[in-house]
Amino acid sequence: MRRYETIFITHPELTEEELSELKEKILSILTQFKGDLIKLDDWGIKKLTFEVRRNSRGRYFLIDYAAGKDLIRELERNLRLNDRVLRFQTVRTSDELTPEAIKTLKESAGPEKAKGSERIEPPTGIRGGDEAQVEGGEKE
Amino acid sequence: MKPPATRKKRPFQRRKVCVFCADSGIKIDYKDTKMLTHFITERGKILPRRISGNCAKHQRELTTAIKRARNIALLPFTVIST
Repeated sequence: MRRYETIFITHPELTEEELSELKEKILSILTQFKGDLIKLDDWGIKKLTFEVRRNSRGRYFLIDYAAGKDLIRELERNLRLNDRVLRFQTVRTSDELTPEAIKTLKESAGPEKAKGSERIEPPTGIRGGDEAQVEGGEKE
Repeated sequence: MKPPATRKKRPFQRRKVCVFCADSGIKIDYKDTKMLTHFITERGKILPRRISGNCAKHQRELTTAIKRARNIALLPFTVIST
């Protein structure tokens, strides 16, 4: 198992219901493929530096987890198919982890789960958006 | 020290030290936009090493971090000035 970090941006105008649906879907993939969730952060709605699918804002989510390659494949496939997800990116943050190491990571990440969800004011106008940008995420 | 003989010659400049080597407390993280913006130009380009004074190792890490941040719209690929 390796530790990964996936950031994904959802459409800013999703309802609470749609958000929890999306979160549940991700969590179900994690349990199905025996992944270990370390934390799931909601950064709230942020201004994008360029337009992504005609959106100048987006809601950022960060998932920190330990998983195998099958999980990544399935998770990325799901994010790619989901219309509500504007962009995603998965980055490996560490190599092979022992189960004990994952446990300690989980515990240390627990208390600060609620941080980073402050909302950002609507943008006053963004330049630099390019429709020719490649959509979807890149895996690194 | 003698002043430079010709005007074309630049005066001696203090050799810049890599900020990441000097202060090991700063970590290069693609999510840390505040830190990364110090290393891009107004147009959104990555600052070259000769300007920022970073060492090769940290410059490499920085470049990948900036590119990752661009992918998820945290940093601009380009800023079109009007």
